[in-house]
Amino acid sequence: MHKKCVWREIAKKTSSTRFCVLVLIGTHFEVLFNNSIWGRSSSQRSSIFTKGHLVLQKNISRRDFTKLATALAGSLGLGAAAAPRTATALEKLAAGKPNVLWLQALSCSGCTVSALNSYQPDAIDLITEYMSLLFHSTISSATGSLASSVISETIDQGDFLLVVEGSIPLGMPEACMSGGRPISELIAKAAGRAKAVVAVGTCSSFGGIPAAENNPTGAVSVRDFLDSESIGKPLINLPGCPCHPDWLVGTLVHVTEFGMPSLDDDLRPTMFYSKVVHDQCPRFADYERGNFAESFSDSGCLFKLGCVGARTFSDCIHRRWNGGVNSCIDSGAPCIGCAGKDFAKKADFPLYRIGQEDALVTELAQR
Amino acid sequence: MNRKITIDPLTRIEGHLSIRVDVEEGKVITAECSGEMFRGFEAILQGRDPMDAQQIMQRICGVCPVAHGIASCMAQEEAYGVAPPQNGQLLRNLIQGSNFLQSHILHFYHLSAVDWIDLAAIQKYEGSDPTLRNLQTWVQTQIETQQLFPLAPLFPRYEGNYADDALTNEMGLKNYVIALEMRALAHQMGAIWCGKLPHAPGLIPGGVTESVTARKVARFRSALKRVATFIDDAYLPDVQRVATAFPDYFEVGRGCGNFLTYGMFGQPTGSEEPTFSPGVLMDGKLQTFHQDQITEDTCYSRFSSPSGIHPSSGASAPDPHKDKAYSWIKAPRYAGQVMEVGPLARVLTAYKRGTDPNLVNLVDKYLEALAVDATALPSVLGRHLSRALEAKIVATKMLEWVEMLAPEEPTNTPFTIPQTGTGAGLTEAARGALGHWLQIRNGKISNYQCVVPTTWNCSPRDDEGNPGATEQALMGTPVNNVENPLEAARVVRSFDPCLACAVH
Repeated sequence: MHKKCVWREIAKKTSSTRFCVLVLIGTHFEVLFNNSIWGRSSSQRSSIFTKGHLVLQKNISRRDFTKLATALAGSLGLGAAAAPRTATALEKLAAGKPNVLWLQALSCSGCTVSALNSYQPDAIDLITEYMSLLFHSTISSATGSLASSVISETIDQGDFLLVVEGSIPLGMPEACMSGGRPISELIAKAAGRAKAVVAVGTCSSFGGIPAAENNPTGAVSVRDFLDSESIGKPLINLPGCPCHPDWLVGTLVHVTEFGMPSLDDDLRPTMFYSKVVHDQCPRFADYERGNFAESFSDSGCLFKLGCVGARTFSDCIHRRWNGGVNSCIDSGAPCIGCAGKDFAKKADFPLYRIGQEDALVTELAQR
Repeated sequence: MNRKITIDPLTRIEGHLSIRVDVEEGKVITAECSGEMFRGFEAILQGRDPMDAQQIMQRICGVCPVAHGIASCMAQEEAYGVAPPQNGQLLRNLIQGSNFLQSHILHFYHLSAVDWIDLAAIQKYEGSDPTLRNLQTWVQTQIETQQLFPLAPLFPRYEGNYADDALTNEMGLKNYVIALEMRALAHQMGAIWCGKLPHAPGLIPGGVTESVTARKVARFRSALKRVATFIDDAYLPDVQRVATAFPDYFEVGRGCGNFLTYGMFGQPTGSEEPTFSPGVLMDGKLQTFHQDQITEDTCYSRFSSPSGIHPSSGASAPDPHKDKAYSWIKAPRYAGQVMEVGPLARVLTAYKRGTDPNLVNLVDKYLEALAVDATALPSVLGRHLSRALEAKIVATKMLEWVEMLAPEEPTNTPFTIPQTGTGAGLTEAARGALGHWLQIRNGKISNYQCVVPTTWNCSPRDDEGNPGATEQALMGTPVNNVENPLEAARVVRSFDPCLACAVH
């Protein structure tokens, strides 16, 4: 009946329910509620669809659909802010390789460098096989006005994933300029046309260091920026300072091959961010036995040096870094919570708290 | 006829840089460099625990976090009165050296080489090298897709005079691909000793947190040998081929002619005089470096802070709409003079000092092969050559340092943070001289200022109106086609600008 049936999908997890909206290109829109479908393989999912488990199937216009999605989001307690993200469906990328527009705002390029550290697939595979990287400031041959025209043609064409690295200087747009315009304008325009937005790293996910206390630029996360501009798009946050290459690659592959991954309330893919570091820590036994390091030369659990692994959601400690050779805690360095929402935000919560019997240890003991 | 050209954004560097040049009779007559991104790291550090600095300041830059981490640790060590043990110093050198290798390789192949080698040559390739064959297949498949920018990110590019020699292009392309693996391997080497890269968790005042084991030594040594072989067999020959194909670039982008280095790598006990020690080359004469001669001007910078101040008491209050200001970068000067920093400054200073015969012989060998003398080094090609030669020298030193590591010996020295103190951490990032200045009051940071390599190299005019190092290097650059100012981009990229660093 349809020339090409391409599933568009959105998944939004609430505390107890996973909410999925599926859109079929053409005039059919199908909406589905299901508690467990996204944990299954794509073939299992297909069979569920063909068995008629769809809750709703109607011929409706896109505008009607947006209204419907808003109502559904409201009824699920997601709030009005969640509605636009839910309604803007994500198309499965037919070529199997997403077009990617990568823009940098208040960034250090660390997430770019980390992406280049990707191991299996390696960086050359990423660029040639896993994405069409239409523009990236650090890698693109295009420069100057040619670069600006590549960016604007990409935006005009649509059909791309927008990757944003760095936070947005909402209070001082002049603090980040590209092509003579504030980067915030460019990001707003690109986000408006993008299929989905991926915030790579802690700065773009949660504001990060540029948004820390005493910052002069009024830096905010991509989520807060899009909300301030009333731009509703599917958004995935991939915090980490830097973002682990696996998180970025795994997310891109998931979006390309299976649609939106399951996200938590902070829009992080649950496949990478559902557990705290502490629960996966190689020094967990030291913690259990009360064997705490008192100085950087000691072995043992690093809590008393300031480790915040107990409140940091990330699988980095298990995944390890740079092709798996090491990790922060394995190298004797306490987790400083670089993937956390509050990373470095407060001047009175130091990254190291040596000798401190702080509330965290008590908090943990009570768990 | 006078033509104004703006290159904005100037890509294939770190961060947000724009360049404006006036071209008259085919040559640049004036140039302005603008740093376009400001975050306010120095303000963010105010009132924080001093140990936050080595983690937060690493995040200034994802390309050279290690240099910031080490500069911050050194500033704290001066304030705390503590020094790393031998193992700690050696490990720091190895972490810093690893990051140098990844940065230099990244800069030549992925940021610069596509300005020289002709990527289109892949379509004519008839050989059987698997890397080139794969690339050729990718190009053909992509063109058939008919999609927007099928060969992105490699195309589109400026039109211009790319290399026409098949070997130069084929080896350049092949090694572009292999270099992606090599720079990741160099980062992996660093991570063996500091936990992860970018942003090294294991750097602390007093040394490093990681311990030395024979297994880690073996792993590191094995990776280092591979990277060192790549430098010898690919990086240096590729630079040599580009230099042979574009000999006129030994005359282009000559710059201010003054050079500054703070020196780098802590010297293990009992070893000879360091190759990379501090020095100033002013008007061709080698001078002793005095850090009190550093000042920062702000007349043309978007800061309301006073001008001409030493960074130990400097400030960085933003003023985005300041009259006359055209950059977020300040204008650091040494004894009031414009300075170039970076691999060229380090190699020239060491060459002039002449205390390391290996370095002198190596430089002479390559100058002879390219039929130029040392006066050709301050140039676009001289910067690329110095960077590649430095990569070889650093890799050689790393092979020596790794043998000096002692398992089960300490890697850090305990310390206490004083209520009051000051410290300066002066070292080198891959792209040049890096300084951090710290003040502690009531056990917290009361002031923190950084002067970073690209602050020197891409500075705007100073209060006297003297253009910065890159601005001076651009002047006189021939521009054949104002729509495709490839030559100007080559000059700027030869400095390896890092804008996140320059402004921070």
